[in-house]
This record gives sequence, structure tokens and C-alpha cells, in this order.
Amino acid sequence: MNSSIRKLGIAVVICYLALFAKLNHLQLVEGPSLNRRPDNSRAIERDVNRPRGTISTSDGVIVARSNEVEGKYRFQREYPLGDLFAHITGTYSFLFGTDGAERTYNDELAGQTAALKLSGYLNPFVERSNVGNLTLTARSDVQQAAKDALGDRKGSVVALDPRSGAILAMWSNPSFDPNAIVTNASAEAALVRQFLNASPDKPLLARAYRERFFPGSTFKIVTSTAGLESGKVTELTPAYPRLSKYTPPKTIRPISNFDGATCGGTLFELLRVSCNTGFAQMGAETIGPQPMIDTAEKFGFNSVPPLDLPDGAASVFPTDFGKQLGPGATPESAPVFENTPALAQASIGQNDVSATPLEMALVAAAVANGGTIMAPHVMAQIRDSKGGVVETHVDAVWKQPMTAATAAILKRAMEGVVDGGTAKGLDIAGFDVGGKTGTAQVGSSPPRSHAWIIGFAGPPGAAPTVAVAVIVEGQDGLSEQTGGRVAAPIAKKVLQVALAPPPAAPSPPVPGG
Amino acid sequence: MNPRRRIELGLLIMAGVIVGAAYTLASLGRDASIPANVGPFLAIVLGLFLGAHLVVRKLAPNADPILLPIAALLNGIGYVFIARLNERLAAQQAAWTAVGILGFAVTLLVIKRVRTLERMRYTIGLVGLVLVILPAIPFVGREINGAKIWVRLGPISFQPGEFAKLALAVFFAAYLIEQREVLSMATFKIGPLRMPEPVRLVPVVLAWGVSLVVMFFERDLGSALMFFMLFLVVVWVATGRAFYLVTGFGLFAAGAYVAWRTFDHVQTRVSMWINPWQDPQGKGYQIIQASYAFAWGGVGGTGLGLGISGRVPYQETDFIFAIIGEELGLFGTVAVLSAYLLLTGAGLRVAIRSTDPFKKLLGVGLTTIIAVQSFLIMGGVTRLLPLTGVTLPFLSYGGSSLVANWIAIALLIRLSDEQGAEKKPATDETTTIVRPNVVAT
Repeated sequence: MNSSIRKLGIAVVICYLALFAKLNHLQLVEGPSLNRRPDNSRAIERDVNRPRGTISTSDGVIVARSNEVEGKYRFQREYPLGDLFAHITGTYSFLFGTDGAERTYNDELAGQTAALKLSGYLNPFVERSNVGNLTLTARSDVQQAAKDALGDRKGSVVALDPRSGAILAMWSNPSFDPNAIVTNASAEAALVRQFLNASPDKPLLARAYRERFFPGSTFKIVTSTAGLESGKVTELTPAYPRLSKYTPPKTIRPISNFDGATCGGTLFELLRVSCNTGFAQMGAETIGPQPMIDTAEKFGFNSVPPLDLPDGAASVFPTDFGKQLGPGATPESAPVFENTPALAQASIGQNDVSATPLEMALVAAAVANGGTIMAPHVMAQIRDSKGGVVETHVDAVWKQPMTAATAAILKRAMEGVVDGGTAKGLDIAGFDVGGKTGTAQVGSSPPRSHAWIIGFAGPPGAAPTVAVAVIVEGQDGLSEQTGGRVAAPIAKKVLQVALAPPPAAPSPPVPGG
Repeated sequence: MNPRRRIELGLLIMAGVIVGAAYTLASLGRDASIPANVGPFLAIVLGLFLGAHLVVRKLAPNADPILLPIAALLNGIGYVFIARLNERLAAQQAAWTAVGILGFAVTLLVIKRVRTLERMRYTIGLVGLVLVILPAIPFVGREINGAKIWVRLGPISFQPGEFAKLALAVFFAAYLIEQREVLSMATFKIGPLRMPEPVRLVPVVLAWGVSLVVMFFERDLGSALMFFMLFLVVVWVATGRAFYLVTGFGLFAAGAYVAWRTFDHVQTRVSMWINPWQDPQGKGYQIIQASYAFAWGGVGGTGLGLGISGRVPYQETDFIFAIIGEELGLFGTVAVLSAYLLLTGAGLRVAIRSTDPFKKLLGVGLTTIIAVQSFLIMGGVTRLLPLTGVTLPFLSYGGSSLVANWIAIALLIRLSDEQGAEKKPATDETTTIVRPNVVAT
């Protein structure tokens, strides 16, 4: 019987070891992610009666702070600029959880990170709260310019510094006033939130990085990169035939140029007038599916950009074009696939391609930054209550879609589009400006499109300091000029303000809480 | 003085200090003040433990020194947590602790020799069966939370199932030993399988089967599982035949499947085990809050009294382990785990070292009850297993569970004492050295 008892003992030990492993996994490994779940209100409960740090722009304007109040809760979170920064700061609500920067940097704002706690321990007798204050990379003047320029129209503006990935402005219309949601009067807050959730225009949705749209002709930058990087396209070759319609292999439905225009030629010419037929043929016959997929993914398509705000959307480029059917029409052509027609559409930013405004801004940034995309971020620094810097953002490279040589070629090409092409409206005297307009078809009866523009600008002869993407949704008409007519003035205004020096920043912003 | 008793005293004093310190810290954490009654509290706690120790010294002086201190420590820590969560329940738990230790003493007093239990096996078996059936009887039993496991006698409600477990463990052990030889002989053949004459198994299977059926009626699937494991383990250890293990698990799988198909709440438990976030505000709420409590504790815990209480349902009973996880962290949960493992180890050691087969089997049975029950509930609240509604021995709030477990410890101590006494003559014998007569040649 003893041997059975021993075996029983071993079985018990094994069961308890499994329990031990599970406990370790639960409390050690899974712990942080469970604590961060949005429906876990423990973090909020711990913090709701504690002071919380401020969020300010890089030019020192406070966009979120906690005020001491009378009543059930000791603090009321306030957003002094209303809807202007709502999609970046997010909301901090005891009832509904946190979103945006309030969520990503919750531990810092609540003073719960190791660094802030340490500074608290080292100064135990000093009467102050050890919360962290977040300084954003965003500039209030650029953000305001974006809002003013877009006006009532639905759309988004993203402006960033291509050298570091710092977001200078990120605005989506419609936006919402976070004060109405975070008010301590819970019944009113719930009503407002219900109303906002039900609104068909979705003001709570930060379109700039959470919603995807057909990129239209702005995607031709990606197609050009695929061509240049694969060696199949150069500045001078191939020269595409002048067509007004192009029918890809394996289909009878043609792709036409907007306004019935006829165009063709080499790369720079195609970009200048945004020639659909030329780029469709380039993608389908010159480049082929795999280099297009690889290049798109190297730009960040099919992944979520590492922005430090939660729940970002991944831009999409289709990865399956069916089976290879046979060789192309000429020896240099790419082989024909089952879905080559779809590839032709994708090469001009239609069909199954969709991109967030942030991703398209990063496309422009790649060209502006010598072929390297830096990881986008909104956090510049975390400071403690006395203004000392506790943490600074470390810039990181995210993707490298092209070589510096290719980037130089595309930069010149995009400057050409501004000089004498569809993006003339972007030109700013005294600066080197490059751009690409986009018109993305979203309906045919009546014809409707999204008006896009992406671009960059910088001091003459030097590296560009701003990259921008603007989309204005749902415009009437379907013309190659739409992007240049509607979106370019908005982007130009934003670039002008961004290129100007920032308003004087006061020394460390007045801490709150 | 037997050295074992000295060790036991030392361990008990350590346990007492730990419990007293924990009590003070919990109060400091929750109210930021030292409780006024900490002095009397410590006195009573230590008094009860020391009382138990003195009883052991008098009535079972050769027993293993680990059993009592671990039980006392778990009981004490459980009390600290219940006091931190709900003062009204704490007062009751304190009373039940006293009753438990009284039961402990009475058991040691009444059962002076383990043989007594063996002689009374049929009576005990019958009593066990009656206790199992009791809650199913219309006016006697009461349904709470969908399960009929309670019986009310005047002002007191208790769970007879907790005591039934002990009675049936005794009965199984005794009967199986009686039939052991017969059961070990594999004379009956079904194809390649050899098994004993089926008729021999009838009384035991009957007793076990009736318990299971009644339990399905009472919807106490946690206890049904416990009984099944107890039966399976005891039969396997008694006969040493893997046949029983294999058919046992087969029957278990079949039973579990039937239960899953028939009972809504079994399906609920299983699907909430797999992914509680399917229904976060409804059926998954309990287990999700428990997971959050564990995660909130992390490695070091929030500190006694500093957790966020009131979020986990049934926090004083089934989910008390989650509160320990929150306030004492991974360190605390592993410590509790180790305590149960040590208790199990001590019990199995008593079983191995006993020479009499009945004592071995009884030791195995009692230890299995404690080991499996703790594993089931600790596994359930951590989502290692689906949740089953059994209590965590000594830690959960619950009078019947506490008293029954103290009686089980008392029986284990009695077993250990008899085993210790057997060895004693051998070590106490003085060796006489005989000087050889040197004969000079």
C-alpha cells in the first residue's frame, strides 16, 4: 500500500505545482494586463480621490487638470480647451474608464510609476503630491490652425515632425467636449455619453488614427516606392503610354482617369498630374503583387503604428492576389495573377486598400526623413510637481520602407507636384514644400470622393521639419483637382503655422492637483 | 517531555505571533488604527491554541508536531481576513473556532483508540449516509443559492455534508480493508481486463452511488466531486490495482459529461472558466473580480487591510483566497499553498508510517479530503479549474466546515499518536552492553 500512497503524494504535488504555476502566471505575468483592462475600475477607484497630474502642450498650455472641489469626489477633472485636444488627451472618468493619453499615461499621471514613487520616498517630509505631469509634443497653435482650417467639414488633420515622430497636431472633426462626460454629476455624464455614442457622425471616434479610408491617389507614393526600390522603375523609365483608360489583364473593366483626362509618361510626370492609368499599369504589369505587398507592409500597412495612444487601427493592404496564371505581356512585365485587376486598383489606392490619416502622414514622413519612419508619439516628457524632468521620450525608428537614395528621388518628385502639379495649393514661399494630392472615390451615383493631401515642408535646402496629412470626407464630384482644391489649403495653413516658431513657452507649466 | 511536543509548542507560538501581527496590521491598514481589542484577542487566540496543545500533550503525546500548528495558523489567518472584511461574521467565526477546538478535544477524548472506529464502521457508514440525505428531506433541508446543502436545527444552520465526508471516509477505509484481499484478487475476467468478483464491491458502490445521486438532487456538485475523489483514491490505495483508477476516471468523465449536458449551471461554470469575459456583468462577474483581485495584489500584495474590499462576491467564503491574493500577493498565496501541501504531506506521512492497514487507509482518506478540497477551490478561483462550490478548509468562513476539519485533524493526530507510540518502545529500549569474559589462555 505504501507505494500507492507515495504515488498519491506525487500526484498531489503535481497538482499543487500546477496551481503554483497558475498563480505565478496570474499574479506575475498576467497581472499588469489585467490591471489595465478598461472594465477594471480598481485603478480608477484607487486614484479617484487622489490628485492627478496635468497634461500640457509643448508650448505650455494646460489641456487637462484636476481641480479640488466640494462634494462626493475630492477632484473634478477639467479640460480647459474643450474639444480641441479631446482625441489626444482622451478622458479620465470614474464611471466610464479612461481613454487616450489619460489611459496610456495613467500610472504617470497618478504618480504610481517607480520613478515618481521613488522621488516621493526621497522627499517624505515635503508637503506635495508626487503626481507626474505630462507634456505633449503637440502645439496648441498648430492644433488650433488645423481645427480652424477644417472648419465644419468632416475630416482629419495629422501633422508631425518626420525627424522624430513627434505629433504636432492631430485633429478630427467632429470632436466632443470631454468636460461633459467626465463631470462628477454622473446622471448627466451618462446622458451625454449615450447621446454621443448614438450620434451617426461618431464624435467620440478619433478618426485620425482609429478610422480607415480609401487613400486614393496619395497611395501612389507607395506604388512609386515599390517601383523604385524593385529597380523596375526609374526616373526615366519606363514611359507609360498616354491613355485615358487602361484595362488590366484578366478583366474587361477599364480604369479611367478622372475628368476623362489623357496622361502618361515617366514617373515624375505621372505623379505631377496624378495619372491613374499610368500607376495602375505600373502596379499591375511593371511591379507585380509581391513587391507591392512588401513595400506597403514596410510602410506600416497591415500593422498598427506604435503610437502611444490606445486602440489604434492598422491600415490595410491586401496580401492575397490569387494564383499566378502565367507570364506577363512582355519579358520585363510582372507575371499575371488571378487578381491582377484588383492589384491595378490597389496601386491607385482603391479596392481593398484603406489607410488611417496617421499612416498617410507617416508615408509623407518617410519621404521627408530620408526613407526612415520614426515611431509616432504624443508624449514629450513627464515632469514631477516641482517641474523636474522624470522621463523623456526616446525616439525610435519604426519602419524603413526605402533607401535614402529613393527618398531623395521621391522628395524631388513630390516637390515637383507642388511646383507645377495638382498640389500647387500647397506652395509656401521661402520653404521647400513637397506634396501629393489624393481623390479617393467613395460613390458613383452621385459621384463622391474623399479629398486627401499629404506633404512635407522645411527650410530651403535642409531636411523637412513637418509632414502632414489631411482628409476631407465625402466631397461631391470626382475630379483629380478635388484634393488640390479642398484639402491643400487646409494643409498649407497647418504647415505655415508649424513652420513658424512656437509661441513662447513659460518655464515648467503650473502644476495642477 | 516528548521532543515532538516541544516542537509543536514552538510552532504554535510562532503561529500565534504571526496571527496576532497580521490582525494588528489588517486593522492598521483598514482603519489606520490599532484595534482596541488586540490584547484580549491575542489572549483568546493563544489560549485556544495552547488549550489544544495541552489536550494533545495529554491525550496524544506521540503525535506529529506539524498538524496542529498548521491548522491553527490557517484558522487564525482565516479569522484575520474575515475580521478585516466583515466584523459580524468574524464574531461568529470566532465562536465556531472555539467550537471547532472543542470538537477537536472531544474527538481525542472519545476516540482513544482508532480500533473503535473500525469496530463501529457500519454505524458510522449509516450515519454518514443519513447526513448526506438529510438536506434533501423537504422540511428539514433548506435551499440556499440553488443548492440544498443546509439543515436548520432551531437557530443554527449547518452543513451535514461536511461531517458526512468524515463518516464515509471511515466507512470506506474499514470496509475496504475487510474486503481487501478479495478485492485484490483479480479472478473475474472481462476480456483482457481482470477484476475482482463484482458482488464484493456492492455495498461500497451502493453507499457511494446513493451519495452521488442524492447530491445530484441537492445540486451540490462540489461535494459530489469530493466524494468521488475520496472513493477513487481509497479504493486504489487499498487494492493497488490500476483497474480501479482507470474505470474510476472513466466513470468520472462520463458523469461530468452527463452533468454538463443536464445542468445549466454546470455549463455556465465551464464556459465562465474558459472565458468569463463573455458575460462580464452577469455570470462571469465573480470570477473576473477574483482575477482582478489577484492581479491587483501582484507579487507583494497591497498589504493587509489595504486592498479594495467589497468587489469580489462571496469574499469571506469561496473567494477568500482571492482576497489573500490581493492583500498578501503572490508571496501570500504561495505561502498558503505551501501550508496545505505541508498538511497533506504530514497526513500522508502518518499513513505511510502506520503499520495497520485500516489506519493507513483512514489516514489517506482524511488527508485526501483536505488536499482535494483545497486544490479544487484554489484552482477554481484562479481559473485553473472550473469553479466548484466547496470551502477552503480552515480559511473560509463557515462553522460546519471548520468543526469538521478540526475533527479530521484530531483523527489524524490520533492516528499519528498510535503510530508514534509503536515506534517508541524500540527507541526507548536501553541497549545493554555485555562485557565478554576474557579468558586468559
